[in-house]
Amino acid sequence: MSIFRRLLNVFRTDRLARDARREVDFHIAECIDELVDSGMSETEARREARRRFGHTDDVKADVHRAEVLGWLDAVFTDIRYALRGLRANPGFTAVAVVSLGLGIGANTAIFSLVNAVILRSLPVWNPQDIVQVTLGGSRGTFTVPLWDAVREQQEALDGVLAHGDQTFNLADGGVVRRETGAWVSGGYFNVLGVPPAVGRVFSPSDDVRGCPAVAVLGHRFWQREYGGDEAVVGRTISLNGNPFEIVGVSASGFEGVHVGRTANIFTPICAADIFYPGRNLLDARSSWYISILGRLPRGGSLEEAQASLAATARGVMEASVPTHWAPDEQAEFLENGLSARAASTGLSIVRGQYRTALFTLLVVVGVVLLIACANVAQLLMARATARQHEVAVRLAIGSGRARLIRQLLTESALLALLGAALGVVFARWSSGLIVAFLRQGGSTVSLDLSLDLRVLGFTVLVATLTGILFGLAPAWRSSRVSPQRAMRGSGRGLVGDSRHLLGRSIVVGQVALSLVLVVAAGLLVGSFQRLSTIDPGFTPAGVLLVETGWSALDLSEDNARVFPRELVERMESIPGVVSASASLTTPISGASWNDYVVFDDMPRGGDLPLVYFNGVTEDYLRTLEMRLVAGRGFDASDRDGSAPVAIVNEELARQFFGGENPVGRTMRTSSHDSLSAPIEIVGLLADSKYRRLDEETLPTALVPLEQAGLWGSGVHITVRSSGAPTAVQPAVTEAMRQIHPAITLEFSTLEANIAESLARPKLLATMSGFFGGLALLLAVIGLYGTMAYNVTRRRNEMGVRIALGAPQARILGLIAGEAGRIVAGGLVLGALLAFAATRPIASFLYGVGATDPMTMAGSALMLALVAMGAALLPAWRAARVDPMVTLRDE
Amino acid sequence: MGKRKDVLYGTLQLLVLQTLESRGRLHGYALTRAIQESSADRLRVEEGSLYPALRRMEQQGWLRASWGKTEKRRDARFYEITPAGQRQLAAERESWLHITEGVRRVLQYA
Repeated sequence: MSIFRRLLNVFRTDRLARDARREVDFHIAECIDELVDSGMSETEARREARRRFGHTDDVKADVHRAEVLGWLDAVFTDIRYALRGLRANPGFTAVAVVSLGLGIGANTAIFSLVNAVILRSLPVWNPQDIVQVTLGGSRGTFTVPLWDAVREQQEALDGVLAHGDQTFNLADGGVVRRETGAWVSGGYFNVLGVPPAVGRVFSPSDDVRGCPAVAVLGHRFWQREYGGDEAVVGRTISLNGNPFEIVGVSASGFEGVHVGRTANIFTPICAADIFYPGRNLLDARSSWYISILGRLPRGGSLEEAQASLAATARGVMEASVPTHWAPDEQAEFLENGLSARAASTGLSIVRGQYRTALFTLLVVVGVVLLIACANVAQLLMARATARQHEVAVRLAIGSGRARLIRQLLTESALLALLGAALGVVFARWSSGLIVAFLRQGGSTVSLDLSLDLRVLGFTVLVATLTGILFGLAPAWRSSRVSPQRAMRGSGRGLVGDSRHLLGRSIVVGQVALSLVLVVAAGLLVGSFQRLSTIDPGFTPAGVLLVETGWSALDLSEDNARVFPRELVERMESIPGVVSASASLTTPISGASWNDYVVFDDMPRGGDLPLVYFNGVTEDYLRTLEMRLVAGRGFDASDRDGSAPVAIVNEELARQFFGGENPVGRTMRTSSHDSLSAPIEIVGLLADSKYRRLDEETLPTALVPLEQAGLWGSGVHITVRSSGAPTAVQPAVTEAMRQIHPAITLEFSTLEANIAESLARPKLLATMSGFFGGLALLLAVIGLYGTMAYNVTRRRNEMGVRIALGAPQARILGLIAGEAGRIVAGGLVLGALLAFAATRPIASFLYGVGATDPMTMAGSALMLALVAMGAALLPAWRAARVDPMVTLRDE
Repeated sequence: MGKRKDVLYGTLQLLVLQTLESRGRLHGYALTRAIQESSADRLRVEEGSLYPALRRMEQQGWLRASWGKTEKRRDARFYEITPAGQRQLAAERESWLHITEGVRRVLQYA
């Protein structure tokens, strides 16, 4: 009976009982016939037959019990037997369980990240009905007027909601305390079906023009900041310096619709007027920061919603067209379509940034697990050889082969289970570490990594597949042993038998797979190293960054223009500060300012070149240690009202002046077909990085801060000090407080910003380096195991050879040659695999191609050396075989 | 009717295998009759233990069972011995002879 049918039997007791009843009924009928034949009356015969049989129901139950219990009993026996075997070989068990634990744990860890970032549904009511409204194809951001029009005109969805990412400063002046939050529409919580934990959530009446300042707290934030105090309702919280009344706390588990960016504080969208009075953000027709989600009506399909939204598009666009745009741009705007896409997993920026990286890692850890499986399969095979005699005896006394295979598979399953248990522990520990690598927009990503059913299911599935994968071949093989041969004696295996061949092919595969991982690791680690040692064109070490905000000061425009100068002068008076400057943005900060530019004496036509700008004070070049190649830097005479000047970089000179010195030439910025006054180029700057370290150098121009016009009400202050940059932080804080206590401050260092921008390359380099090393280690253990096993197996042969006069070197060469062939085969196969497999990671590489021959050769060489090292120890043992000892065994 | 003993626990398996080996395909009732006849009525099989034993042996792979019709056109479950069953029979027969020989010697010489 097949295992499958037996499993069914456990559940399908009806069928078994029916079979048993039929059989018993038949028996009784036959018995009655016989008794009647011998002269008994029918009734008496019936009674007698039943008496003989005993209680028929008991028999039926016994039959069934024999069937089901017999099987369960066999399973428990197998488990007991397997446990005994594992306990008896603690070394083998430890190596196998740890290899599997690392392999399975790595898979679980990466998968739990994939799950949290990509797969998990929002913790809202019926998340499968949530869709995202899109504009003109795939864009997901809207303006507030667009949102108003969509909400009023759409008939496709059962409710729509708007969301905009926000960061709130909770401090009243001084050092900034940022918390992530969201501006949300009044229907946000109702449409999602998220109830309040305490107090109330927003209703549509909270989100109207001129609304009062109210806020809902996220559950986790409420626990962290207020210790879960229910009396928080009615209290006020300061958001960007404005008092907001807390009206409630959202349900536990809900952290907003933006995965990876916890919303700790929610305010209605209408609060924009409170945060930015007079800016009229709610009517701004080209400020794009709103995402729109909606809920499909019950039974409605996505296609119907898309069609209905498309039909409303024209009306929505007409109601919200940016009337200040040029006519052709307005016409283009009116053509925008509306559509929708499934959004049960919410919105995520992290998802887009890390999707490919996470899937790449998933493949990498999958390969590591394969290599680990191969190792355990080898260990099991070696063990099976040791148990050959036992197996042969059992086969000889009539054990079924299926029974034996089951026995051996039970052992594999147990190993896999133990490995999985260890793996879950390992995954819990490591996935938190990996999340620390994921960064987005200057803050760490917060993810819900709790083990859910999907992750556990994945682990169980992986463990089961693993168990089958490494268990089946050895089990099948060892059950095919011929009893006669095995019982005749051990130690005289034939050279080149099929078991040996299988072991060798497994090692070849291992070497090949680990070469792929080592090559990938080499490429990624190399890229990261090149990135982190790149010359950015400035000196990051020693620079403190201070992002200042002074909107609370209500400075007049004239005062605001010279205010940065006042701040910088105050900074320079702090002991230990070498120089200080103010700028609109800082390098590698993520912020950028670019404009289309016309160079005066160049023919116009075609697309205008895009140039990246920054507004800086005089000492900016000195503070960042940027190098001036020609011309002059800015000085105190470059003020608002004096002749407009700029310093450009060499890349700009190369692209637009054919590499000639551009000092003395002019350029103009262009917006909406109007040109600025000519700006004279007064200096030439060595190239430096602007947005990212791995960018192609951008054409860049610096202009004096006062001539640049201010963005908002704040500047970035850069401070170079002689010691550690953070050492002057208290003095800077105090100096700023003396200037005005309401100035907000946010500190970081240029080095930290750069480290931040390297987060993803670092994640990939660290992970691939770790897993590549692990794969290499496992493959080397596998090779060592195979060679050691071969040497043991061929001890007699070696003894004979030595007795017949073969020199030690020849024996050494014999074994080393075999190892060499295995390694060479693995390397060739691996090189072919690597050639095909590393292409997808090309986008993560910097300064090196995906099929870089140097990395390939280096990796192969390293693998060959390590592998041959591992093979030499058994070879040396073989050469030292004492012929007398081995021959005596014969 | 002479004195009849129920089959000793542990020998049922041996008897079933031996009977099926020599007589071929039989249903449960015929098995009890056959054992009774072969033992010249000295042994009789307890029905209540026969069927669970048949199931166990079927699971061990020693027997193969299938539904068929008797001469009286009744549905019956027929049992056959498998090669594994034959090996098992050989092993059990040997150990049985070994034990009975031992017991005989004890009775004779002790």
